Amino acid sequence: MSNLQTTLTGFSRYRGGEGHYSFILHRLTGLGTLLFLTIHILDTATVYFFPSLYEHAIDIYRSTPFMIGEIFLVFAVIYHGVNGARIALFDLYFTKRWMAKSQRPSAIWTLIIAVVLWLPAAFLMLRSLLVHNFNL
Amino acid sequence: MERTIEKTNLNINYDAVAWKWMRYSGLLLIPLAWGHVLIQDVLVGVHQIDIDYVAMRWATLGWRVYDFLLLAFAFAHGVNGLRQVLHDYVQKEKSMRTISRLLLVLWFLVAAIGALAIVGGVRMP
Repeated sequence: MSNLQTTLTGFSRYRGGEGHYSFILHRLTGLGTLLFLTIHILDTATVYFFPSLYEHAIDIYRSTPFMIGEIFLVFAVIYHGVNGARIALFDLYFTKRWMAKSQRPSAIWTLIIAVVLWLPAAFLMLRSLLVHNFNL
Repeated sequence: MERTIEKTNLNINYDAVAWKWMRYSGLLLIPLAWGHVLIQDVLVGVHQIDIDYVAMRWATLGWRVYDFLLLAFAFAHGVNGLRQVLHDYVQKEKSMRTISRLLLVLWFLVAAIGALAIVGGVRMP
């Protein structure tokens, strides 16, 4: 556990700048998505194993806290994808183009692209939340 | 000067394969996962989704194959990612071996449940 503590406090002490933050964000968005994915596989599987329970599972997803969580989940999936593409492309195809210096702007651009892709999705989902749960 | 770059022979162990596989599966997951999220979460929305909707979607074989690929790649990518994260925190090799085995069992159970549901299809209540 002291290991974990060192790492958690180290996250705030280590001043790695943009690359460090993109590393943390990549992990958090990945772990968050995995948590949801595990629940999502099991609840969808009820359509075969316990069909009468599916409606109940969907009702939970329709609640306001879950719909807000869903908006953040979509950000997590988008950011993890954009940043993952950056990592994969540099690691697999543009290995010689990788430069420490260009990683800083590259990390910032990744965040900007992710937010720009997320905003229209967030708008539509927020609208759906307001229409269905608040009768607006 | 070209000669200064030499090819080195590294031992290709499991983690070297996993490292590469994470990148290839990640690239494949961008269209698969984004497409799924865009359709179901953003365009259709959770209020339009019910068991009839799932039955309608799975009536098309193409969507079942799509969901099966998504399940296979996304969940394995995620569980292996969790294994990589835990590797940074667990220093004892023996503990890490145990954790890896537990994750393999978890992966197999959940993936099998999901796969059975996709193959079995919707049973109307």
